[in-house]
Amino acid sequence: MYRDISVKLVDVSKSIGTRVLFTGINLVVNAGQCLVITGPNGSGKSTLLKIIAGLNQPTTGAIQIISNNKQFDAEERRACLGLISPEIILYADLTGRENILFFTRLRKIRCNEHQIEGYCQKVGLAIDKDQLVRTYSTGMRQRLKLALMLAMQPLLWLLDEPSSNLDADGKRLIAQMISNGLEQNAAIIIATNEPWEAEHADYKIELA
Amino acid sequence: MPTIRLNLLNCIWAIMMKDGLCEFRTRYAVSALFMFALISLASISMSIGAASLPADLTAALLWVLLFFCAMAGLSRVFVQEEESGTIIALQLYGSGQAVLFGKLLFNIIMLLALTMLIIPLFILFLNVDIYHWSIFIVVLILGDIGIAAASTITAAMVAKTQGKNALFTVLTFPILLPQFLSSISATAKILMNVKPDISDILFMAAYNVVLMIASSIVFDYLWYD
Repeated sequence: MYRDISVKLVDVSKSIGTRVLFTGINLVVNAGQCLVITGPNGSGKSTLLKIIAGLNQPTTGAIQIISNNKQFDAEERRACLGLISPEIILYADLTGRENILFFTRLRKIRCNEHQIEGYCQKVGLAIDKDQLVRTYSTGMRQRLKLALMLAMQPLLWLLDEPSSNLDADGKRLIAQMISNGLEQNAAIIIATNEPWEAEHADYKIELA
Repeated sequence: MPTIRLNLLNCIWAIMMKDGLCEFRTRYAVSALFMFALISLASISMSIGAASLPADLTAALLWVLLFFCAMAGLSRVFVQEEESGTIIALQLYGSGQAVLFGKLLFNIIMLLALTMLIIPLFILFLNVDIYHWSIFIVVLILGDIGIAAASTITAAMVAKTQGKNALFTVLTFPILLPQFLSSISATAKILMNVKPDISDILFMAAYNVVLMIASSIVFDYLWYD
């Protein structure tokens, strides 16, 4: 198990057509640290997270995820991260429990029923975990993504507006999860414009 | 952390079961495939009446029917993921090879199940005699695997494109043509009470293996880039 993960962005830039989203981003996020990315809509916060996740390619520069002086390849990078984003859509024709079971199996993690029950309980989905996700509200779907994150226990957390669609109780849950994640030595990168989420930051960058 | 590392086969199985469960609940592909097969067979049967078709034409009809059934439903394994937006989570959490072979396995099972439904109707409606059942079953299985393998990789290719339905058929047909012609030839021989050459069967099996290996190599580029 790698516990000293660090994420390094080297001169990362992204352009879409003639529009430059950001240029020259250089930073390092170590295990147990939190980076908060802020900026107006369309500034490229979500795109930067997707680039770090390997779902999008930077125009220039590189993302390095390093542990024990070893740089992860693309497969290892995906295996060590968890992403909560509005663009992550879970299967509407599976139940909440089945979604967790499916994605953890894809990550080669075995989750038993008792553990899934526990994760669902933590995010307030204990009663609804056996309902099809198509019957969930947007807030419940967001909570299911949180449960999935708990089940994955990734070393690198990428959170894109994690409290969107959540009520006050859900926001407290996010704050608690971030604190616990940092205590467990995860590296956390949050794209947000919520001031209370930014309170967790060890570093902040603002995209124009 | 309560984890036990599972192997690739488990991931393939998980993807196949997930697709099966979603299909069981929605019946998108099953309905399209089965209705197409039923309507086509009934139409052909009504058109020819009591007349008996030559064996080579009957064999061609069977494989054309299976091919277009596949075209009607098998692309959904990737197109549905793309259209519903679930493909991003699958890309993030699943390995490319597990996704490819999980979906291939699902398509093979779908097509074999459909074939099991079609064959009795085919025999009934077209008044066909099958002389070498064991070889016929082998030909059907190999042919179905070929159709499923070609359909799965082309579905992955066209999933992000415009006009994916037309493109799916246009791309699948040339990839499948050698296998398709062998299946028709072997089936025609069986219907004429002639055993197909072992070389025909071996060619079909080898073509499937080549198709799967080529798909496996190409798929990582499609999936990650």
